[in-house]
Amino acid sequence: MAYYVNRNIKMTWWERSYIPEIIKGMWLTSRRFFYNLFGFIPFFLGTEKDRRIMTVYYPEEQVQYPIAYRGRPVLAQNEDGQPACVACGLCEIACPAYCIHIEPGQNSGKQNQYERWPDVFNIDYAICIFCGNCEEACPEEAIFMSDDCEISMLDRKQMLYTKEQLLTPVADLQKRIEFTRNMYAKWNY
Amino acid sequence: MWVDLLITLVKILFVFAVTVGFFAPVLTWVERKQSALMQDRIGANRADIMGFTALGLFHIIADALKMFTKEDFIPDGANRVLHTISPIIALVPALLTFAVVPFGGHYNLFGKDVHLVISDLDVGLLFVFAIASLATYGYVIAGWSSNNNWSLLGSMRTASQMISYEVTMGLTIIGVLMVYGSMKLTDIGAIQENFWMWGIFLQPVGFFMFLTASIAENKRIPFDAPEAESELVAGYFTEYSGLKFGMFFMAEFIEMVTIGAIMTILFLGAWHIPFLSSATLLSWFDFLGTTGSNLVLMLIHVGVFFAKVCFFIWLQMIIRWTLPRFRYDQIMKLGWKILLPLSLANILVTGLVILALN
Repeated sequence: MAYYVNRNIKMTWWERSYIPEIIKGMWLTSRRFFYNLFGFIPFFLGTEKDRRIMTVYYPEEQVQYPIAYRGRPVLAQNEDGQPACVACGLCEIACPAYCIHIEPGQNSGKQNQYERWPDVFNIDYAICIFCGNCEEACPEEAIFMSDDCEISMLDRKQMLYTKEQLLTPVADLQKRIEFTRNMYAKWNY
Repeated sequence: MWVDLLITLVKILFVFAVTVGFFAPVLTWVERKQSALMQDRIGANRADIMGFTALGLFHIIADALKMFTKEDFIPDGANRVLHTISPIIALVPALLTFAVVPFGGHYNLFGKDVHLVISDLDVGLLFVFAIASLATYGYVIAGWSSNNNWSLLGSMRTASQMISYEVTMGLTIIGVLMVYGSMKLTDIGAIQENFWMWGIFLQPVGFFMFLTASIAENKRIPFDAPEAESELVAGYFTEYSGLKFGMFFMAEFIEMVTIGAIMTILFLGAWHIPFLSSATLLSWFDFLGTTGSNLVLMLIHVGVFFAKVCFFIWLQMIIRWTLPRFRYDQIMKLGWKILLPLSLANILVTGLVILALN
């Protein structure tokens, strides 16, 4: 399909003289320049907190991610140090990328003990697609998407996180837990 | 005799220190930082020494190190001699023009009359254009000797563009010469001690045409068709790497300084402050004695001159980061169909006004 450019645009005499339009453009850019320049100086003197430029010096400065942000999935750890997970395997099934591997452990009939728990719980972040399906599938509020997205490694094998690395205290996840309750309540699970 | 030689040597060293030592490296930083600020970015700030970035100023050192350590590549089938020599041909004229550029008036220091210009030629202005047009050879040879189609196209564009705009430039300064009646850059500078004799008031059209033509001569955006990244890879210096590429780069930045200096002298009152004559300034610092007051005056004048040069560099950068590139036929049309008749009309009007005033 061919495009035809209309090169016979009628311009006014003012536009054709070109110079006023150039000055208009330069006025805009130089205004931006001075605005940002004078935003920089108080920032470096320390009198002003913002420097008027939104760009973030990434590793030194970090932005707060919104609570809906899906970072790497983590396992919730109860106050007594045990994972909230019951090793039902629903997240394993829900995972579209097959990055979760669970080997369940269960008690031998003792009283006052957890009935089921995961002996092995591995998530391979090299495969994970951060879809959040595991969080949605979990019936026990045990797996949550955190706001951590800095999981680059020098070796692919290091991307395989074990249960000990995944466990995160429930207290740190409280906001996300409330968010998921609100979120998934809408569909009446 | 020996004292004169020493003074000349000091002036040459000063010019080299200012252009090669200060402006050329710092402008690489200014270019990046200014464009960043204009576009709401932060700009170069990653190079650091012990976690200290100094607003990205260490990028100058990093760039220099990078250029020194890069492979000096000569493409297959290139003319080795010409390929090596062309960056030098491009860089030397840019430096040479500063020989006749006065960066201050004349001062009575220790009983000697010191002129702040390396060589005060009677045909100073002509010398500037004669030398500056030599740089074209560097660019054309660079493109031809690289054995690369893009380079050749870039150098052909350079040649045609430089020739077209040199005509305008030459005709524009005729108006200036008619007004001031001298080709000596020191004379032109000295006349402008009177604020209303500044070239921008006497030759307002000439000022804009000279600015346009000189940016076109320097091949910067919006006239950067010779190196047009999106069309010709990098134009005539596609096949250059390392310090040879650095020399082309340096030539561009030094030419920016040269353009700023020439424009300052011709149109913006050279080293003078508006409404403040040298005699007034001298009388203010009379308590320091003849040499002392002259020394202070010299420092003020050199400072004012380079402040004006910095203003022109800032203006060129603003233009470079504001406007899009002209199409090639638009460049030719602007040069031959608009600027050339305008500069001729400018000469005519200037002549008529001078005739009427006499």
